[in-house]
Amino acid sequence: MTCWACKSDVPPEAPSCPACGKLQPAAGGEDLFAALGLPRRFDLEPSELEARFRERSRRFHPDRFARADARERRIALDRSTRLNDAHRTLREPRRRAEYLLRLAGHDPLAEARTLHDPEFLEEQLEVREQLAIARAEGDAAAVAALGQGARERLAALEGELGPLFAAGAPHEELSRRLARARYYDSIIADAVPSPQRD
Amino acid sequence: MARAIGIDLGTTNSLVASVDARNRPRIIPAEEGRPLLPSAVHYAMDGAIEVGLAARRRAPERPVDTVLSVKRFMGRGPGDIRPEDRGIYHFDETGSVVKLAVNHGKRAVSAVEVSAEILRVLKKRAAEDLGGPPGPCVITVPAYFDDAQRQATKDAGRLAGLDVARLVNEPTAAALAYGLDQRREGTFAVFDLGGGTFDVSILKLEGGVFEVLSTGGDTHLGGDDFDRVVAARLLERGLTPAVEQLTPALLRGAAAAAQKIREALSSEERVDAEVELPGGHVLTASLTRAELEELILPVVERTTGPCRRALEDARLGGEPVDGVVLVGGATRTPLVRRHVKVLFGQEPLTDLDPDTVVALGAAVQADALDRGGRDDVLLLDVIPLSLGVEMMGGVVEKIVLRNSTIPASATQQFTTYADGQTGMVVHVVQGERELARDCRSLARFTLKGIPPLPAGIARVEITYAVDADGILSVSARELETGVEQHVQVKATYGLSEEEVEAMLVESIEHAEEDVTERFLVEWRVEGERIVAALETAFQVDGELLSPDEKAPIDERIEGLRQAMAGRDYLAIKAWIESLDAASKEFAERRMNKHIGKAMAGHRIDEFAGVGGKPGGEL
Repeated sequence: MTCWACKSDVPPEAPSCPACGKLQPAAGGEDLFAALGLPRRFDLEPSELEARFRERSRRFHPDRFARADARERRIALDRSTRLNDAHRTLREPRRRAEYLLRLAGHDPLAEARTLHDPEFLEEQLEVREQLAIARAEGDAAAVAALGQGARERLAALEGELGPLFAAGAPHEELSRRLARARYYDSIIADAVPSPQRD
Repeated sequence: MARAIGIDLGTTNSLVASVDARNRPRIIPAEEGRPLLPSAVHYAMDGAIEVGLAARRRAPERPVDTVLSVKRFMGRGPGDIRPEDRGIYHFDETGSVVKLAVNHGKRAVSAVEVSAEILRVLKKRAAEDLGGPPGPCVITVPAYFDDAQRQATKDAGRLAGLDVARLVNEPTAAALAYGLDQRREGTFAVFDLGGGTFDVSILKLEGGVFEVLSTGGDTHLGGDDFDRVVAARLLERGLTPAVEQLTPALLRGAAAAAQKIREALSSEERVDAEVELPGGHVLTASLTRAELEELILPVVERTTGPCRRALEDARLGGEPVDGVVLVGGATRTPLVRRHVKVLFGQEPLTDLDPDTVVALGAAVQADALDRGGRDDVLLLDVIPLSLGVEMMGGVVEKIVLRNSTIPASATQQFTTYADGQTGMVVHVVQGERELARDCRSLARFTLKGIPPLPAGIARVEITYAVDADGILSVSARELETGVEQHVQVKATYGLSEEEVEAMLVESIEHAEEDVTERFLVEWRVEGERIVAALETAFQVDGELLSPDEKAPIDERIEGLRQAMAGRDYLAIKAWIESLDAASKEFAERRMNKHIGKAMAGHRIDEFAGVGGKPGGEL
């Protein structure tokens, strides 16, 4: 890599040019794990992820380059935007799992659509019906209980992701978990009183 | 070297601060040695402009020519001002930007221009104090300000000749002032109840980074609301001689009296006063603290919802915050402090003056920006409201979710709705509501030159990019054929570069004509889009309507067509609204039909709200 400003050689991992100190654009094809300087794997220590995010934010944030020239400001904006995207995506286990599947060439959303999961679906339709009845009858306790049930199942499901990845489970298994999680989301969303609107 | 300054452009008062040679932020006295400059601008009949205390003193006798609380009008478009905010002012809503008509309609000033007058005075004071023109400046805005309001604030700064390096959220600035002072780490809540706006933010300070975890609030809640209810009670009880119709001057005078009484009741238990009002009226004001609290309790309770939501969004997992910072004069009210204590389970921090803490934080941030400050605390802000795009049927697809750290960008793909469709209207909205009409409309533009392909084949990629000021730009391009189109949009109610230029050279008339023309074109496009969408919908789902039900829709389509042939964009807009209302039921039936279909076919994506959207027409 060559520095855009002074044309010196820049090592591929270095964020700034060792010679002139100018911020360098991200390496082409850099994934979100690399944007945070983390290994590409499911098991991440949340505190490690947060620490990396803070450290890199201090390095890339546009506020650090308010007095820099236009090109360097642009690079800071791009890198910081990308960093924030990485942080948002990877800090949540499900989004991290989805992203890993996509990196491996799978499309969990498309797979979810063709997934055959009739028993689960049947069960969910039943829960939805119970929810609809409870809401129609104004039975707040029943609504809350259904929401709580979905929350517990979701937590259990998220707990399974780590071991599945560690065991090298087939991607269909993971996609199925992610698809199911969305059903729980939708129940949880419908089971809480809607947030106060402004 | 020119020193950086921080400005708190407040609803009631504004302040300017800078960091001194010993690296400590300090307030630059605004006038007569006072730290606060009342955010009041008086337009005299002879063309002179007064700002600050002098202007505020004029308010009782010349209420219509004296603009107070102009912040409530920032970034507001025609028809956008809430009735309770209109108060005594006269508005000129013929342009793209709402203007206040002063001097018997001889002069019309926009909120941006009024704010710029306040900023000019602060800039001048800073220059006098610092011994030279100030350097880059940070202006604070309520965290809850939407894109148009932020844009308007930046425009006001530019108009005042300031180098606006950054907009910073007020609560964030306040926390920054505290964080640096105290050097403590942890999570903080900032409860900011000012004159006109309420903000609550949850922040985390760790490893030298100040991260905003969540933010919420209400852009129409503040101490002014206290004064309004108190003034109403006082006028009802103690005005002599009584009047049938309250005049603006009386209302203004009573509100000023209410504010003094409310402030006095923060330390006293009871206030008895006789206040002279314009026109020889006397207001006998007697109020106890208990009565005051009963009056303002409903207003104070409106802070509960946003606080709960911010705590939830911050995902602290039930852990209490490590401190609560108070900002804004209204937080001096004992009832507010008790309410905060209940909400957050602890006594709030009161080490810094709630009136100046925001400006001090702004100065700290301005200084850090100016020095490229590698050793200072870094501020990571979030976007306060989700940004989305309107889909077929008026529903909103969110693209950047609220509380995303900025800068942020997100991309989403859409497809065409009709066979051979070559254009797509992109309607950019901001807010949490499901329907576009309940959200804030930021911009509307048409992507043209889509290759004519069967419905659902052409793919349009829309990218939202939010910069570090929280200001949005949108681009759209068509992917399928490799044809690229790049459209940059700015918020409709902000000012374009050209508009600011035009105002600078005071040739406003021409700019207004352009703006009217733009509105006309935009509303015609919108009208055409709606008619075309409805006609397609009739073809696909015509059976959902009986002939009797369809007739009123047809009538309005005809009316809209006639309006589009004319030059009155407001008429087009009115017909569109009427058509929207008339076809609402039809749109709902269509939505139900399509959702029903998906459920019946057990299609996982529709059911769980994942993946491709039906239609995808924008």
